[in-house]
Amino acid sequence: MRLSFWEILLRTKEGPIIEEKQFDLSIFKRAQKLQEKYQIKYDPEKPLDIDGDLADRVYQAGVELFLDIGTYCTTTRRIIKLTEQELQVEMNSCPDELELGQGEDRVKIVHRDVEGDQEPVVVAGIQTTPFSDEEMMFNITKGCAMDRCIDGIWAGILLKIDGKYDVVAGAPSEVYQYRRTIEIIRKAIKAAGRPGMIIINNAPTSLGTIAMYSEENGLRKTDGIETTGMSELKVDYDDLNRSAFGLAHGIHIHGSHSSVIGGFSGGPEGAAIVAVAGALQLVAVQKADSFRCGVLESLVKSRVTRKELWAAGTAIQGLSRNTRLIVDGSIGDHPAAGPGTKQYFYESAAGHIVSTVMGAHSTQGTRKYVVGNTCNYGTPLESRWMGEVCKGAVGMDRVTADRIVRYLLAKYEDKLTDAPQGETFEKLYDGEKLEPLPHYQKLYEEVKEELGSQGLHLKD
Amino acid sequence: MELSNLPHEQRDLLDSLRDAIVAIDEERAKELAKNIVNEKIDPNFAIKHSIADAAVKVGEKFDSGEYFLPHLVMAGDLMDEVGAILGKNIPPEQIERKNVIVIGTVQADMHSVGKNLVATMLKSSGFQVHDMGVDVPSISFIEKAKELKADMIALSSLLTTTMPYQKEVIEDLKSMGLRDQFKVMVGGGPVTRQYAEEIGADGYGKDAIDALREAKKLLM
Repeated sequence: MRLSFWEILLRTKEGPIIEEKQFDLSIFKRAQKLQEKYQIKYDPEKPLDIDGDLADRVYQAGVELFLDIGTYCTTTRRIIKLTEQELQVEMNSCPDELELGQGEDRVKIVHRDVEGDQEPVVVAGIQTTPFSDEEMMFNITKGCAMDRCIDGIWAGILLKIDGKYDVVAGAPSEVYQYRRTIEIIRKAIKAAGRPGMIIINNAPTSLGTIAMYSEENGLRKTDGIETTGMSELKVDYDDLNRSAFGLAHGIHIHGSHSSVIGGFSGGPEGAAIVAVAGALQLVAVQKADSFRCGVLESLVKSRVTRKELWAAGTAIQGLSRNTRLIVDGSIGDHPAAGPGTKQYFYESAAGHIVSTVMGAHSTQGTRKYVVGNTCNYGTPLESRWMGEVCKGAVGMDRVTADRIVRYLLAKYEDKLTDAPQGETFEKLYDGEKLEPLPHYQKLYEEVKEELGSQGLHLKD
Repeated sequence: MELSNLPHEQRDLLDSLRDAIVAIDEERAKELAKNIVNEKIDPNFAIKHSIADAAVKVGEKFDSGEYFLPHLVMAGDLMDEVGAILGKNIPPEQIERKNVIVIGTVQADMHSVGKNLVATMLKSSGFQVHDMGVDVPSISFIEKAKELKADMIALSSLLTTTMPYQKEVIEDLKSMGLRDQFKVMVGGGPVTRQYAEEIGADGYGKDAIDALREAKKLLM
């Protein structure tokens, strides 16, 4: 039988107490030893593991790491540990298929195989970006939702109430405005003719997140709830509040965790191992039914550096080959370059090809890595691109993916730290027709043709 | 005092200590520090030469990707321990005061990666850093800065909806008549230099390396 959530909570109260710094260092030290034990070595000449043997070793190391050091609860400063048997039960009990959304817009999200032909679920939309006003939020979201190559939509945020008062996390304005936001998003997807499509949003606090739920005009049970594991094998009670709400209301729980290259994970090898361990944490501790297995690089503001592609791709592949879990990759969700640039499309494509081919879905939307408080920093065309790439890469083999990724890396790799900023919606789109302006459409067509010639055939 | 004025053996001792810290060889570094004390080498000079040089070299290794955050943490701890050994015979009035920085992620924001990196880099570069963690109320930053007689408050925010707390700390400092007592540096994913200027921050770090540069510029 699965460990109940309440047993997990008990362990947050009764597990070994330890200083946070000691836990952080234990991640690094243990991951280094496991890296040696399983002979895991990053080779920059091989951005993807194309035979799976390395991925299997990364998976084994990730399991061992999770069992060895557990999860740190920052609220109680205690470690939550599971036995090998308990972890096995958790993984075996986790679903390999779920239904999300409603009516004609309902989709199945299933365990995907490496190079598998299962259709990936794509949740696009400009993730968590600020919008200038309700009309702009409605129009951009509607434009994204109209595209049939995506299955769900992420919401953003309006930073002012009544155009005047700041929305501040942890304050009543967060609760009010995140709820208002979802109402606008729901109207927008209805106007797009897709009233039952999945909506995802995640407020800064669990209170703001829970406030978004309403079957009538908010988030629904069939949309799921996000729980974000704090970076590198940690959790706090605010994260666990989201799990508790999901469990109490029968809502699918989607988790997200990122290991950090250059952080306590160490190098790319450690980050791949910690990414697997983090995924297991999301399933076993946070009771997620599906999860994003992510990797960040501490000094680069993009999620598709060569090291990130290798680490995330190998971890995802390891999970896909060794479990029946539903994995979300979303590696291409945060390009360094802004919308309206070829580099945005290149970065997005590299990440989403790796996610899809290694056995994952992509549910984390589209967004330039750093948006600041710039409003309307994205368009529906990036959502279309994400959907087309993810679905176009279905069934692609790893050798082909590796070749295309190398081509793409050569296009953007040396431009990540000084990436082009791109443009906002107003400069790239006809706001009334909800169509790209000719220059942006042309740029998109050029990249599409270019990648077609490399063997990536996009689905319309 | 100049390094070249020291006898060859003493110069070797100082260089070896620096290298042991850079290699994070705890046992050897402590032993060398004790030897330096026994040799009666000026402790302030030893700290400046061995520890400060080691900090620079550790930082370079991090920048080049050879070292990671845990190396910075371990090197920083080792510098503290070695500094305590070297400094135990320094009269209190001769102890050089380190610049004190209170750092944390603002209220309702749980992101720690960037803040940890900045805190650790500041510490390993010779600042005395008090890390308050994540989800820190504005008033707590101010109270801690007052208590420690800090030189700077460094505020991280990773969400557009938590950026207003950076402004709140500055506004609260003004309201309490304390704005002149502390430099305020801000940073985090969505934070820009323009925003930092708008809210009246003294400094801005676009990433950890930039934050360290900015802190040195403001305090050293």
